[in-house]
Amino acid sequence: MAETKALRAPLGLKLGNAAFLAVWIVVALFPLAWTALMSFKAPVDALSANPLRVIFGPVTWEHYKAVWITHGFYRNFLNSLLITAGVVTISLTVGTLAGYALARARSNLAFWILITALVFRALPHSVLVTGYLPPFLNSRELLMPLWDAPILGWILHLFAPVPPTLYGQPWAIILVLVSINQPFTIWMMRSFFMNVPHELDEAARVDGCTHFGAFWRVIMPVMWPGVITTGLFSFLLAYNDYLVTALLLDAQSQTMVPAISQFLNRDTRASDQIEAIAAAVSITAPLFVLVLVFQRQLVSGLTAGAVKG
Amino acid sequence: MVGVVLRNVTKRWGSFTGVHAVDLVIGDREFVVFLGPSGCGKTTTMRMIAGLEDPSDGEILIGDRVVNDLEPKDRDVAMVFQNYGLYPNLTVYENIRFPLKVRRVDASTHDARVRKAAAMVELGDLLHRRPKELSGGQRQRVALARAIVREPAVFLMDEPLSNLDAKLRVSTRAQIKNLQHELKVTTIYVTHDQIEAMTLADRVVVMNKGRFQQVGTPTEIYDRPANTFVAGFIGSPAMNLMDGAVAAGVFEAPGVRVPGLVGYPDGPATLGFRAEDAEVAAGPGGEIAAPVYSIELLGDATLVSVRVGPALVAARAPKTFRAEIGDPVSFRIGAAGCHVFDSASGERIEPAPAMASPGPARADLGSTMPIGATA
Ligand SMILES: Nc1ncnc2c1ncn2[C@@H]1O[C@H](COP(=O)(O)OP(=O)(O)OP(=O)(O)O)[C@@H](O)[C@H]1O
Ligand SMILES: [Mg+2]
Repeated sequence: MAETKALRAPLGLKLGNAAFLAVWIVVALFPLAWTALMSFKAPVDALSANPLRVIFGPVTWEHYKAVWITHGFYRNFLNSLLITAGVVTISLTVGTLAGYALARARSNLAFWILITALVFRALPHSVLVTGYLPPFLNSRELLMPLWDAPILGWILHLFAPVPPTLYGQPWAIILVLVSINQPFTIWMMRSFFMNVPHELDEAARVDGCTHFGAFWRVIMPVMWPGVITTGLFSFLLAYNDYLVTALLLDAQSQTMVPAISQFLNRDTRASDQIEAIAAAVSITAPLFVLVLVFQRQLVSGLTAGAVKG
Repeated sequence: MVGVVLRNVTKRWGSFTGVHAVDLVIGDREFVVFLGPSGCGKTTTMRMIAGLEDPSDGEILIGDRVVNDLEPKDRDVAMVFQNYGLYPNLTVYENIRFPLKVRRVDASTHDARVRKAAAMVELGDLLHRRPKELSGGQRQRVALARAIVREPAVFLMDEPLSNLDAKLRVSTRAQIKNLQHELKVTTIYVTHDQIEAMTLADRVVVMNKGRFQQVGTPTEIYDRPANTFVAGFIGSPAMNLMDGAVAAGVFEAPGVRVPGLVGYPDGPATLGFRAEDAEVAAGPGGEIAAPVYSIELLGDATLVSVRVGPALVAARAPKTFRAEIGDPVSFRIGAAGCHVFDSASGERIEPAPAMASPGPARADLGSTMPIGATA
């Protein structure tokens, strides 16, 4: 109703748009919806050649129960939660501070730091991971000299009598994922900060803030869309990671994504397949929730100029 | 309260020098306007005073403290930014209150102060809005209110009226002048609008290419420009400048002969006069005679331009004056209305005091010889 005349399109065009969107939504959503549907059906219905049986077959929760309780998928979920939370927290904190500093810095050094970050980002992850694997397995021997060192060793002994084996430790994986993700978060946060006019921090500093006070009281409040958008990308990287977690974690500390591939590879009974599907749906659900909750910030974070003053 | 002193202040970026070793003493409660064309270093100078830019060289004093190493917040200045710098997530009210809040001013006084500052710039009914719901002019007034809500040692205003329409500009200009008078705070004001400079300033600093060209009261700057840049920048229209030579007290250029310039050294020179110091007559007879190049009706007067060599020279005629382009006209200019500048450096040349030459310059006016070289 409040539409202006300029935005009003002819009826034909409107119908065309609507039809195109409808087709596109169906095509895009179909695989997802079909997977979700199958996960609630008994194997006879879910794997039936007749699509109507897949759609209208009786609903059952047994696969979810089997996956989460019998097969202990909840442990994978908790591991994923820990690793994801750790990665998001660390890479956002570092990314925000570094991004701000690099956005406001005027020296050449800032430029070279950014280029270096880009080079690290460009390295294939598999190169990094294969580099990490041997030291992770042998970390006890590798780190021993530190524990034997005069003063440092005494301090380290307070935490652990012998150096830890990093392989299979979720917190060690957090550091690996952060190091993979960090260049990207720094670049992304920097570009968000570049959109915030200099006058804002300068006005705050003249008004009586310290440099950090200006950052915290004036810049951060307009940066939330950027933080949340960058946070979502960090979340996705950690949550969806297969390569690093599959290689550097053992069965006990496995996260959800590699765990699912194990489900799929087992493939002995028909119900195993449906259980793998149920696990896959379980993984996807939190993503939907996240996007729905932060929808507004994401939209403004993903469209340019959202944080302009 | 306090004044501001600049000693040999320089700003360099690599090989580019934005501000060249400027010196200035600004008195307590003085209203100083930096005036100059775009890119001449006005904002840079002001940012160095605010502490947002470190001078490459020199000293800045506010009151009797050298502030070079002080953070902006410790310099006790308030600044209005060229691009507002309003906090987009805060309402107008909270924007204005921000300096009080961060400086931990007694909270019970906040409301009264914010409302007083808002009332001074006539923002009373917009207090609940956010900056993006305001027009450019309203934003600028919020920025002004945020500066005046506290009573700082120095106000720094960087083109605070640049986005207002002509009418609002005139009224806000008056408000600022009145405000400064009331608050009695030393003020440095940046503009490239000379009318603003002339009406507001106790003293004007004319800048060009990072250098101070002249520092003086508006009258001094208008009546005795220190060089051809100031002469050609101040006034509307700016001063007419013609290149020629002085010989035995007579300035000559193609189509121009101005006698009576007593006490000036012989040699090449630039002669300047203001449009309102000349009289226009049809036909030959004045110091300058040339065909009309253009004629502009200003309403209260008619501006007649002629060409002198490469330069365009204008004079104000009564509003009833009419002529066609190409008609011969002549301008009568007295030696008293003339300014002589060195043609190489552009610096003003003062006549040597009372030599043995006869009579004041004015006496020649009636008896000047007409020259009709181009008529
Ligand atoms: N960070 C910087 N690095 C290099 N040069 C700069 C920088 N900031 C300003 N300059 C240059 O310094 C000169 C003076 O700039 P300044 O902003 O002081 O101009 P201004 O007089 O305020 O002009 P305006 O009326 O357009 O605002 C300009 O030539 C500008 O290009
Ligand atoms: Mg400027």
